[in-house]
Amino acid sequence: MTRVPLTLSINGEMHELLVAPHWTLLYVLRTVIGLSGAKENCLEAECGVCTVLLDGKAVNSCILLAEQCRGRSIVTIEGLGTSGQLHPLQEAFIRHGAVQCGYCIPGMILTAKSFLDETSGRVPTRDEIREAISGTLCRCTGYQKIIDAIAAVAAETKGGT
Amino acid sequence: MSFTVHHPASVSDAVALAERYGADGRFLAGGTDLIIQIHRKRLASQHLIDLTGLAELRAIEDAGDEIRIGALATHKAIERNPLFQGALVALAEAARVVGGHQVRNVGTVGGNIANASPAADVVAPLLALEAEVVLQGAAATRRVRLRDFLAGPGRTMRGDGELVREVHVAKPPPRSATAFLKAGRRKAMEISVVCVAARLTLDDAGRCAAARIALGAVSATTMRAEAAERALEGALLTDDVLRDAGRLAAGACHPIDDVRASARYRRLLVEALVPRALARCVERISGRRS
Ligand SMILES: Cc1cc2nc3c(=O)[nH]c(=O)nc-3n(C[C@H](O)[C@H](O)[C@H](O)COP(=O)(O)OP(=O)(O)OC[C@H]3O[C@@H](n4cnc5c(N)ncnc54)[C@H](O)[C@@H]3O)c2cc1C
Ligand code: FES
Ligand code: FES
Repeated sequence: MTRVPLTLSINGEMHELLVAPHWTLLYVLRTVIGLSGAKENCLEAECGVCTVLLDGKAVNSCILLAEQCRGRSIVTIEGLGTSGQLHPLQEAFIRHGAVQCGYCIPGMILTAKSFLDETSGRVPTRDEIREAISGTLCRCTGYQKIIDAIAAVAAETKGGT
Repeated sequence: MSFTVHHPASVSDAVALAERYGADGRFLAGGTDLIIQIHRKRLASQHLIDLTGLAELRAIEDAGDEIRIGALATHKAIERNPLFQGALVALAEAARVVGGHQVRNVGTVGGNIANASPAADVVAPLLALEAEVVLQGAAATRRVRLRDFLAGPGRTMRGDGELVREVHVAKPPPRSATAFLKAGRRKAMEISVVCVAARLTLDDAGRCAAARIALGAVSATTMRAEAAERALEGALLTDDVLRDAGRLAAGACHPIDDVRASARYRRLLVEALVPRALARCVERISGRRS
C-alpha cells in the first residue's frame, strides 16, 4: 500500500511518520505511536472518547485524517499533565470524584479544556458546560460530578486554563 | 478504502485538481460528513482535495452592504463572530447547535451547504437571508442563489470541478431581525427533526414590510414557506396573524416519516415553531428600538 511521509507535532514532539492516506489521527496515535489515552469507540464523532486538541481545539480524532493535521499541533491527554504535576482540570476531576471507570475521562478533560479556553475571561454557566460536553458521553457518572469539577476550575481560573 | 489526499497550495490549484479528477475527486473541508460517508463505504472517492490549508477560504468579511463568509469558516467561527450578533443572529443561533463542540470546531459552512442535507442547520438562516453562493471552477466563477443551488437531498447544481468558495449575505435594512429555532429529540448534539429560520422587517407603522421563512428537514431541500411570507407582508403582526403563518407553512411543507419523527409530528412542529420564530423577531426589533 502507498505510504506518504508526514511530520506530526504531538505533545510538543515532532514525529516523522509514513502513513497510509486513509489512516485517521486516532489510528496513528494509538496504533502507530502507542499513545492510548484517546479511546476508540463509535468512530463516527458521536461519543467523544477519541477527543484530542488540534491547535488547542477539541476535535474527534476518529474522523480526522492524519494528513489533515500536517503542520498543526496535537495535544493528547498524555501531554496535558504528568502524575507529579496534574493539570488543574485533572486535579478537579479527582477532587470532585468525577472519575469512575475512567474510559471517557481523557476526552472529557480535553473537551473541557478547549471549552474553558474558548470562554476565557468569563465564567460559563452550568448550562453552557452541560452543552459543551454534549458530544462527549460518559456511561458511568451521570455527569453531575464532571460538571461540578469543570465549574470549579472555571470559577478558579475565570474560564481559560 | 484507498484514495490519495492532495494538499493544494492555493484555491486555483484546488480547482485545477478538481477539474482534473472530475467525478473521482472530492473536496475535503472539515470531513465531518465526508470521512464518515467514506468509512461507511457509501462513497469511494479516489482523490480527496484537502482544503484545510487554504487560509484565505476561512475569512469572514464585512464588505459594506453584505457579509462574505469563506467556505472554510467553521461553525464555531460563525457562532463567535460579532458580525452575526444583531440582525444576523439567526446564523450564530444555527451554527451554535450543529452537533457538539468537537464537530463545530471543524465542520464548515461550505460543507454544510455543499452536502445539501435537508436538515442542514446553517442552510436555513442562509436561505431566509436569501444568501448567494460563489462557485469557482477552473474556467469561470459564478454567483448563484442558494435556493437555486440546492437541488435535492445531497444534490446541488455544483459541477464536479466547482468549489464553493464563499457565501454572501446581504445586511438586512433597519428594523429587521432574524431568529432560528431547532427541534431535535434531545437538546444538544442532535440532527434537526425540524428547524425554522425567520427574517422580518417592520415598517415605521409596525406593519410587516418583508418576511422570509425557511424550513429545514421537512422537504427534499431546505425550503422557503412563501405562502406564509405573503400572508405576513403588509399585515400588523398580531398573534392570530403569526398563527396563520404557522398553519400556512405547515400546509406547504412535505415532511416524511423516518427514524427521527413522523411526518405528522414534523408538521405540528412547523406550525408551532414558525409563529414562535416570528414572535422572536418582533421582540428583537422592538427591543432594539427601546
Ligand atoms: C456527530 C455529528 C453531528 C452533526 N450534527 C449536525 C447538526 O446538528 N446540524 C447540521 O447541520 N449538521 C450536522 N452534522 C453534519 C456536518 O457536521 C455539517 O454538515 C458540516 O457543516 C459539514 O462540513 P465539513 O466541513 O465537515 O464538510 P465535509 O465533510 O468536509 O464535506 C461535506 C461534503 O461537501 C463537500 N464540500 C465541502 N466543502 C466544499 C466546498 N468548499 N466546495 C465544494 N464542496 C465542498 C465535500 O466534498 C463533501 O461531499 C453533524 C455531523 C456529525 C459527525
Ligand atoms: S470514537 Fe470518535 S467520537 Fe466516538
Ligand atoms: S467514567 Fe466511565 S464512562 Fe465516564
